[in-house]
Amino acid sequence: MNGMTALALGYLGMLVALGVWTWTVMSRARDIERRLASTEAALGLNDGNVDPVADDER
Amino acid sequence: MGKRTGRVCLAIGYLGASAALGLAFLWVPSVPNDAFESPEAQRLFYWHVPSAWMAMIAFGVLFVGSALWFMRRSALGWRLHVAGSEAGLATGLMAVWSGCLWGAAEWGVPWDWTDVRLNSFALLTLLALVLVLGRRAQPDGVESRDTFATAGLFGFVLVPFTYIATRIWQIRHPGPVIASGDGGGSLAPEMGALLGFAALSFTVLIVGHLMESVHLTSLEQRLDRLQGKLDAEVTE
Repeated sequence: MNGMTALALGYLGMLVALGVWTWTVMSRARDIERRLASTEAALGLNDGNVDPVADDER
Repeated sequence: MGKRTGRVCLAIGYLGASAALGLAFLWVPSVPNDAFESPEAQRLFYWHVPSAWMAMIAFGVLFVGSALWFMRRSALGWRLHVAGSEAGLATGLMAVWSGCLWGAAEWGVPWDWTDVRLNSFALLTLLALVLVLGRRAQPDGVESRDTFATAGLFGFVLVPFTYIATRIWQIRHPGPVIASGDGGGSLAPEMGALLGFAALSFTVLIVGHLMESVHLTSLEQRLDRLQGKLDAEVTE
């Protein structure tokens, strides 16, 4: 394998890794949003932005 | 602001980073054959330097978040700590990996254990790894947050140390090629323009990642809160 082929593979790997990282973060957020929305709707709750540990400390 | 801005930044940043890497491969001129052992490998420059730049931004956010949690018990501070450590790990690995590839091509070895810059940057990435894995292994609570925030605060000392390392000890890693302090850089105009574009694109990408990660942590905390309420109702 010559140097340019190795470099091309390295670049492609980098772009795929960046894409997978970005996609993973976005899909995790979408998944939790869906679960939260359905659970909150079922229970009639909406806590907004809360952090139980920080709230307990105040 | 919020999740929409974060996702727009992610999309624009990813497209920009892809374009920058494509231009680095196809457009930017190579260096003279006598300047490098492996002239084509210098194209890794447009991935390696912006990755290291993103990592420094992420570690800066980790420091600010750790300080806000430690001093004010700020919920946003903790979210920034989480976002900074995760982004610091990902970008740190990108910089280390590209550096190993470049080192293998240029120096004949992927790593040099005697080089201060290489090893201090690896320590920073290791710190981010410890924070990410440690947080997942421990129950979320004040004590564990204090421990991780302290590590984030003291670990930040490595950032300025890494920055000045090649100015003090130039062993394997080259010294600065821009902002070198000697009145001028050594980059050709096309190379400088592409490096600037890559740095800007990667910055937008990391800002998007940080915003999205802060949003994600906030959602996870809401889910925890809801779980706590449900548990309390069941036990009553």
